[in-house]
Order: sequence, then C-alpha cells, then structure tokens
Amino acid sequence: MTSLPLLSLLLAVPFLGCLGLLLWPGSPSPNQLRGGAIATLVLQLLVSLLVLLVFDSSLSGLQLRESHGWLPGIGLDYRLGVDGLSLPLVLINAALSLVAVVCTREFSRRPRVYFALLLLISGAVNGAFLADNLLLFFLFYELELIPLWLLISIWGGANRAYAATKFLLFTAVSGMLILGAFLGLALLTGTVDFSLTPVSSERLAMGSQLWLLGALLVGFGIKMPLVPFHTWLPDAHTQASTPVSVLLAGVLLKLGTYGLLRFGLGLFPEAWARLAPALAIWAAVSVVFGSLAAIAQRDMKKMVAYSSVGHMGYVLLAAAAATPVALLGAQFQMVSHGLISALLFLLVGIVYRKTGTRDLDVLHGLLNPQRGLPLTGSLMILGVMASAGLPGMAGFIAEFLVFRGSLNAYPLATLLSMVGSGLTAVYFLLLVNRAFFGRLAITPPQDPLRHARLDVLLPPVAPRETLPAIALAAAVVVMGLLPQQTLGDLSEATTTAMADLPVMVAVLQPGGLG
Amino acid sequence: MPVISAELVRSGGMPAAEELTGRLLSGHTLLRDTPEHLVEVVDVLASYGEVLDAYSINLIYQAEKQFLNPFPVFKYFDGDLNLARLWRHLNHDRINFEYAEYCMKAMLWHGTGGLDAYLDSPAFLDHCRRIIARKRRRDPLLALLDPLAPSFLPELIRTAATVHALGQFWRVMSDLFLDLATAERQGRVRSIADVVAFIQQGLVAAAAQPITYGVEVAGEHCWVLPPEAGLTFLVDVAVPYVEAVFLRGMPFFGTVSFNAQAQQISPDQARFTYGALYADPLPTMGAGIPPSLLMQDMYRHLPERLHQMYRQCSRGEGDVHVKICQSFQKSMFCVTNAAINGTMPHPLEAPDPAHQAANRAYAEAWAARLSVARTDCLDEALPPVLD
Repeated sequence: MTSLPLLSLLLAVPFLGCLGLLLWPGSPSPNQLRGGAIATLVLQLLVSLLVLLVFDSSLSGLQLRESHGWLPGIGLDYRLGVDGLSLPLVLINAALSLVAVVCTREFSRRPRVYFALLLLISGAVNGAFLADNLLLFFLFYELELIPLWLLISIWGGANRAYAATKFLLFTAVSGMLILGAFLGLALLTGTVDFSLTPVSSERLAMGSQLWLLGALLVGFGIKMPLVPFHTWLPDAHTQASTPVSVLLAGVLLKLGTYGLLRFGLGLFPEAWARLAPALAIWAAVSVVFGSLAAIAQRDMKKMVAYSSVGHMGYVLLAAAAATPVALLGAQFQMVSHGLISALLFLLVGIVYRKTGTRDLDVLHGLLNPQRGLPLTGSLMILGVMASAGLPGMAGFIAEFLVFRGSLNAYPLATLLSMVGSGLTAVYFLLLVNRAFFGRLAITPPQDPLRHARLDVLLPPVAPRETLPAIALAAAVVVMGLLPQQTLGDLSEATTTAMADLPVMVAVLQPGGLG
Repeated sequence: MPVISAELVRSGGMPAAEELTGRLLSGHTLLRDTPEHLVEVVDVLASYGEVLDAYSINLIYQAEKQFLNPFPVFKYFDGDLNLARLWRHLNHDRINFEYAEYCMKAMLWHGTGGLDAYLDSPAFLDHCRRIIARKRRRDPLLALLDPLAPSFLPELIRTAATVHALGQFWRVMSDLFLDLATAERQGRVRSIADVVAFIQQGLVAAAAQPITYGVEVAGEHCWVLPPEAGLTFLVDVAVPYVEAVFLRGMPFFGTVSFNAQAQQISPDQARFTYGALYADPLPTMGAGIPPSLLMQDMYRHLPERLHQMYRQCSRGEGDVHVKICQSFQKSMFCVTNAAINGTMPHPLEAPDPAHQAANRAYAEAWAARLSVARTDCLDEALPPVLD
C-alpha cells in the first residue's frame, strides 16, 4: 500500500476533480456539479485517512516522501513528505473542504467555476502542507490566493470588491515577504537547494537571521493573522459566503501558523530564541486585542472573525515558548480552532440565510423552540462554549496545553492570554444572549420601538442544512472528551515532529531555552 | 445597515381602538369574517369544547369527592384509579388539569362578581362552620387543624366552591362549543357573524341558570352554595371568569420577581393584562404568558380539518402550538364579541341619541381595553409557507 504515491494522490485528486468539473461536457446541472465536487472530496478524505493509516507516529522526520526533479537550476523540486505537524492539517483540510461543498446551498451563479475553485484551493492547501521544498511550498501558497480572491469577489456580499482587493493586497505582500525570506536564505547561504532539511541557517550571522525571520514573521503574521496585520480578515469574512468563510477560518489561516512553526521556528531556531520574548508579548497583544475587538462587534460574523485573531495568538504564544507541551498545544489549537471556527461560521451562515441579517442589535430570541432556530441555537451555544475553552470540548485541551506549556517560559504573556480566553466567554455570551435568548423578534434598525411587536416568520431549517454543523460539533465534543483516543497517535507524531525542530533539540537539552 | 427581507417580518398591524369601537357599534364582528377564520374558530372551539368537558368533569369530581381532603394525591383520576391510567398519567399521556386549576386560582385571586361577594358573606361562613363541625367529628386531622388555623378550612371550602362553580360554567361552555361545531357541520353556521350570534344565544339561554353546590358530609347533604344565594351563570360566574382569565390573568410565576423588581407589574390588579387575550403566542419571555398547557390539551383533540390546515402553512407541525394559540385567541375574541353584544346597554339600532351615546361609551370602554390585547390576529390569516 505504501508503494502508492499517496501524497501525490492527495494533490492529484482535487486538481483532477477541478479539471473534470471545468471540462464536464454538456451543461451539467448545479446539483450534478456539486455531486462531482463532493465525490472528489470524499475520495480526497479517504486518501487522507489512508495516509493516516500508513503513517508511523513513532518515526521522526518526513514520511511517505516523494521526490522528482523539476527545475533543478533554480532549486525547485517536486518533493513531498508528511510528518506529525502537517498530517492533522491535511486531514482537517479534507474534512472542511468537504463540509464547505456540502454546505453550499446557493449555487445559481457559475456553479462550474465555483466548485472547481473550491477543489483548486483544497489541492493547493494540501500541496503547501506536504511540500518538502521551500519554493514548492511558496508555489502552492500563492496558488490558493487567486481562487480565494475569485470566490470572494464573485460570490461575496455587497462590498465584495473592496474585501477581495484588500485580501489580495495583504496576502500578496505576505507572499512577497515569504519568497523574499526564502530567496534571501538561499542567497546568503550560497545554495540553491531549497529542500527543507539541507537548509541550514546557522551559517548566517544573527543579524541576517533576524531580518529573514522578521520577513517570515510578518508574512505569516498577515496570513494567520496577527495584530496589526489582521484588518483584511474581518472584511474578507463578512463579504465571503459561508463555505468560503469555513475554508478561510478552518484551513487557510492554518497556512500561516503552519508556516510559522515549520519555517520560522524550524529554519531560524537561534533567531527565534532571540525574538521569543517579544513574540510572546506580540501573541498576548493579539489575543487581548482580538478579544476586545470582538466584544465591540455587532455583526455576528465579524465577531467570530475577530475571535480568530485572538485564537491564532495562542499559537504564536505556544511557538514563542517552544516547549514540547506548548507546541503540542499549538498543534491542537490549529485543529480545534479549525473545527470550532468552521462550526461557528456554518451556524452564522444559517442564521443569515434564514433571517437576512447578522446584526446583534436586530436579532433576538432565535432559540425559540417553535418559530426560531432551536437546533442552530443549541449548536451555537455548544460552539461558543468550545471556543471559550470550556472543559469537555476540543478548545479546552488546546488552550490548556498552550497555557501549561507557556506559563513557565512567559508567565505575563500567558496570563494576559488567559484573560483573552476569559474575554472569549464575554463576547460569545453577548452574542448568544442578544441573538438567541429572549422573545423572538427581528427589530429593524429603523424605529425599533414602533415595530416592537413583530411576528417573525423564519423559514424552518432543514435537517440537511445542519448536518455538517452537527458533524463538526460532534467532532469538537469527542476531541474534547477523548483527546487521547482521537488524537493520541497524532499527538505522538506531533511531539516526534516537534522534537526534530532544531529549537526543540536546544530546548530538550539541559539548560535549554524552556 | 442590514437588509431584512419583507417576507420574514410581518408587521403586527393592530386595529386602533376607534376601529374596534366602529366594528362593535356597526354590528360587524371583531374578527374579520373569512371562510378560513370560520374553520379556525369552529374547529378550535370544538377542540376546546372537548378539553372543557374533561376539565369540567374533573373539577366537579374534585369539588364533590375530594372535598376537604388535605392530600388529594389522585384528584386528577376522576375516581377511576387503575394501573393503566396511572401509567398514562406518569407518562404525561393525559389532559393538563393543572390549567383548569390555574384558571380557578385566577378567579379566586381576582375575586370579582357575585360569587366572590358571596364567598365573603356571613351566610357562607355559617355554612362553612356547619360543614367543618360535622367533618371534624370523623377526621382527627381536621380536628387538629381547625383550632390551630381557624381560617384555613373556610379558605379550602372557598376554593372548592370556586372549583365547582368553574366546573359548572365549563359544562355549559363545553356543550355550547360542541353544539357550535355540529351546527357548522349541518350548515346552520356559515360565517363568523353566525358564530358570534350562536355563542350570544347560548350565553343568553344559560344566563339565568342557577349555580349551586352541595356536599355529602357524614351522610348529610350540606350546601356550600345554596339556591337561596341566588348565584347565576352569567353575572356571577361567566363575567368574573372572563375578567380573571381572558383579561387580567396572572403573571407567570417565574417572572413575578424579576418583573416586580423592574416595576413592570401594576400594583392595581384591575389593570393586569396577563389574560388569554393578551398572551404572546410565542412561549418565551413575552409580556403575556401563553396558556401552553391548554394548547397541548387542545392539540390532543384537534379536528383533522384544522390540523390539515395547520400542516399546510408556516412550519407545519413544528409550530402547531403557536398556531393553536393564535386560533384560540381569534375564537376568544368571538366569545368576547358575543358577550359584549349581549350586554350592550341598548339595541344597536336604537334611535334615541342618549341610548346611542350609552352604547358608544360602553363600546369605547371595551375597545380601549382590547386595543392593547393581541388584536393583531383579528385581521390576519394563517401564516404562509416558507422554505
């Protein structure tokens, strides 16, 4: 079974699926196209699970490696590999891409292109996570930008042009910085070998390392995003359709955190150790700012978007601490945030589709059992509890590991991040209290007093609409209750992968950084 | 600003008090006369009639057979205690007799009309003393309780009297509503105006029916509400019932403390607006409390024609209790309409300006009271299907 090029299959399936949809002869109906996309993504998920099956979590380093020369003159090779850091993200990419296609309900405009772009993104993200070559990573990193830009600018909301352009500008700068850092590394080390393992930065002067790491930090900081490079995210989310928001929050932001751990921490361990105290403070600022900004929002989707800004700060905090527990927490946080934010965006999407608004000053009492959205509301309560890190759910495991692993290294930053975690409960309770509790009503902003007694008729939510959200909620709870059973192997693999990072080698030695 | 599509938000267009006054004085019905409303009102009243029948039987059973029983554990079994019924009871496959008790308590608490006046009279206390004296001889618990709390047992008897009176009232109303359904099936009732007239005739026919209540104590028949008290159906029971249950009601227990602290509960009981006509059909945190238990009971007896109509609109079976509540309020406006028409000081067509002025004042007083009730249902059809 291992003789199969499984990693290439993980790229081939979505890309061929994308091509298949574009070249589908005749005029397939939107439902047929959706069915084709679902079939492709189910296949991708099966291949991802196959990779999980053959993956040996006791081994360190990249596994299932595939290597083919491509453009050796510039150091670009087709080299793939998977380790404990990338495998969970590959799995979550497959799952959430499938969720994004399944939850697509509005496909009256250009469905062929729409579904093809979703598959293209899924394939590109797989490529970025599996790339064992810096330039190959960059190619895939850039490849997902254009489809995402198109998805926002064509299928987005009323202000989509602004949001899409802002997204493109920010992420283009992010890409340029990352490419600049990779090329700078090659230039300064005098090699054109861009494969991950041979790249060694210890030959560089500390000043050069700091510059290159700084470029990577800003580049990936934009993608995660971290304060103050976050401003594109709330706009992109509010204008993107629900499936795109699911992908954006659940998968695409993880490219930033993955890049930070893989390249920032992995390539420049000494510079990383030098900058770590500042990074921890940056993380705390990002967490607290994201949480405070979320409190101030009245758009449900913006609130969830700002919560992402806060929660991505935990990953930076853990990376700054760089202890084994913290890094395991970072990995858990990436997975749990992927699931929880996808769940929350799905639910906000349902609310928006049924009520026509996401305004917390307008919506009231959606939990009403007969005329409201009771199941959606119940899942929302579960989702916000998970996001706030309540025990028994995935968010708790992740946050506990991050805080436990970071507290000794950076107590102040960790405590501030804990405050941010408490603020998560504040803004999400505000959301639930305003929109879901009380008497069911939609109060138009114009003259709410005059319209104080409105009878609200909301269309019912069909079971198939909540099915993806139920699946995600179940995953969040199961991961929270049985983390060892569900992610046990992966955590072992992650620990093994993290132990391979040069900075971890230093940490694990007596008198190390931690 | 968010855009809210018009079909999601229905403006609850409330008819103004002037509009209601106009309808009352012109002889038009408060509820818009449409074929759909006719089905809603007749069928929901048929269902209500079935429920009232059960309530009435149980209330009369309680008042007569559980009289001064300090632990009436099986009071909802109508004397038919067996394992199958006990299982159904515990499984909540039963009528919610608690709603009937809620209505009784509302009547007892608001205490308007002739029945309440009699319950506070010396004659009633004499009857109480006689009954308690006989009962104490064979009941040691009552013998102990009475000297310790002398007003306790008379209060229990007052409650039992109200229970019985309400049972008698609902006996009449149950038959009236079931007769209405029969009349509609036979084609004798074809419009909302016919419904109002039918109910009015029924109320008038029963108006003078005496309300009496006696119990067997130690083998002797004792009167609690004797014939010489002169209590009658309409003035002494029906009107206080409408006042207590349709109009005033009681704030939901769970909200009393919160609302009282927020000074949202009027210190004047007469200004309460928690009755069925004011109830918010949505069962969460509204100003009025929906009679949810009654809606559950009516759902058990819903005629298939109305049930089918409900299935075809809005959320179908999903919000059926809300729809029953709305139909129930429409039907209660018809009953109120009949009561107002029946108690109008002078005939509507009276030429005398003084009579007309008196009618207008009477109609305006009712309209002012009803204009803050759920009159938005008067002109509305059932909600359309949304998907």
